[in-house]
Amino acid sequence: MIRAATVVWHLMLRALRETLRQPGVEIGNVFIPLFFFAVTVGAIGNVAGRAFGVTNYTGFQLPVVVLQAVAGASGTAGFGTVTDIERGYFDKLLLTPTPRIAIVLGRLIGDGVRVMALTALVVVVGLLVGSGMKTGVGGALMIIAMGGVFGLAYSGIGVALALRTGSAQAAQLGFLIFFPLVFLSPAFAPKEVFADWLEFMATINPVTYIIEGMRDLVLDGWDISSLAGAFASIAGLGMFTMLLVLGALRYRTA
Amino acid sequence: MLAIVAESLTKHFSDTIRAVDGIDLGIEEGQIFGFLGANGSGKTTTVRMLTTLLRPTAGRAEVLGLDVLRRPGDVRARIGVALQEAGLDDIQTGRELLTLQARLYGVPARDLRRRVDHLLEVVDLTEAADRRVKTYSGGMKRRLDLAAALVHGPRLVFLDEPTTGLDPISRDAIWRYVAELNRSDGVTFFLTTQYLEEADRLAHEVAIMDAGRIVAQGAPADLKASIGADVVTLRVEGGADELARAEAAVRRFEGIEDVRRLDDAIIVYVREGSSAIASLVLLLDQSGVRAREVTLARPTLDDVFLRKTGHHLGPHDGGRWDEAPAPASRHTERAR
Repeated sequence: MIRAATVVWHLMLRALRETLRQPGVEIGNVFIPLFFFAVTVGAIGNVAGRAFGVTNYTGFQLPVVVLQAVAGASGTAGFGTVTDIERGYFDKLLLTPTPRIAIVLGRLIGDGVRVMALTALVVVVGLLVGSGMKTGVGGALMIIAMGGVFGLAYSGIGVALALRTGSAQAAQLGFLIFFPLVFLSPAFAPKEVFADWLEFMATINPVTYIIEGMRDLVLDGWDISSLAGAFASIAGLGMFTMLLVLGALRYRTA
Repeated sequence: MLAIVAESLTKHFSDTIRAVDGIDLGIEEGQIFGFLGANGSGKTTTVRMLTTLLRPTAGRAEVLGLDVLRRPGDVRARIGVALQEAGLDDIQTGRELLTLQARLYGVPARDLRRRVDHLLEVVDLTEAADRRVKTYSGGMKRRLDLAAALVHGPRLVFLDEPTTGLDPISRDAIWRYVAELNRSDGVTFFLTTQYLEEADRLAHEVAIMDAGRIVAQGAPADLKASIGADVVTLRVEGGADELARAEAAVRRFEGIEDVRRLDDAIIVYVREGSSAIASLVLLLDQSGVRAREVTLARPTLDDVFLRKTGHHLGPHDGGRWDEAPAPASRHTERAR
């Protein structure tokens, strides 16, 4: 167990080293969500109060930007796995006596740490442009932690697709899946103003609870039930993606 | 003790793709075993099964006394592997890659630095150790890959076409490391290759693989001796008709062991070839065919390959040679 944990640690460090040596990859992961942030707040921010009673639309949008950055960055985890497969380095790792799940966990946890750094950056930008943070530093740290664990869970989709297909294009589908999940959530307006069918979709969408958990921290204050809903959604998503990863790993090593 | 045992080892990817079709192996420890075959003959699939990367369709295999299906983790802990494509992480430096590899094999922290430094020295990469792998040449990558396969001090190392695509100097360096490790440390090597010269120079024993089956196995000298004849290569003036007449003519010669037609040449296996040449040329004359070129050679592994498979292992092999050009031509073989 200790040896497995040590191996995961060293593989996580390797994943982080990869990130630090290719910083250009992360620029896109941060720039695109911040661009959407600026455009969305610019377009809707002035009418949000009158339209659906949201006075601080910058703060309202911050969790959405965080999740967009996280999902984009998580797609890179699948890409990294494909690169390892294409280079033959994944086979080299499989040929060691390391438990195979540790090889994948090293990358996923590395991705979680990377995503936390990106989340921190997005939160800082949000604060600088006036999102505010009702729960203070503690709330900001909680959002960063939520971004990290959501990133770890969400990376599983890209990694599973990478393991199953060995294709970079397929691995990036992980990011594309995120778009319908965002649009079927109260990302741009509260659920209460949705049409019935959309409100129903938002209710069964786990991303809704993650956004609302973060949003409460930014706009309203500490709400344990809201946070519990967010973490339960992340845990559910994590279990689902981990099953996908295990299945894909089994397929690749059969 | 046997380092590798395989019994009816089989891998079928479909009903029509029978990559490995029931092979048996018994490889002694301390040997360099050459696994010779063209592209697609089943060499790499065999390596992937023996190294636990691929599950056999049928049959069984033991590596260092451990069943590859029942104890794959123990097998992986005891073997070193360098696959066909040097599987390296371009982003890391050579030293980082070897250090990580050593950690994954559980090399104790107190030995780690010394082991990595020693291996970098062995493969002449000390100066380049702190450069990223993406700046390495093909030969340097292969040497680093070899070092990565040795980082935990394995008793058995699988090298899958370790010199394919390398320049002669890099190839020679790899050969020296392999021979030295085998001699000084008794490391057993299972070496797949499509280079006859490599097998001839390094291997104590070779197996020739063709279409998923082993068609010959033994010490290179014994395999060559098994031909029991000299090799006379005849080329004649004219086209296909003349070649057919020439073949019919030489088949009448007494003392002939075998005759093969290959492209524009007739390969004649004959005892005491030096005295047979004059008679063969005379037979051609009597058939109205003029000899354009006649060469005499001792049998080579290429001749063994031709006798056993019906085709050469080389660029003339009906397009099957689709990687780097062969370093060992028949002329090289003759000169040895």
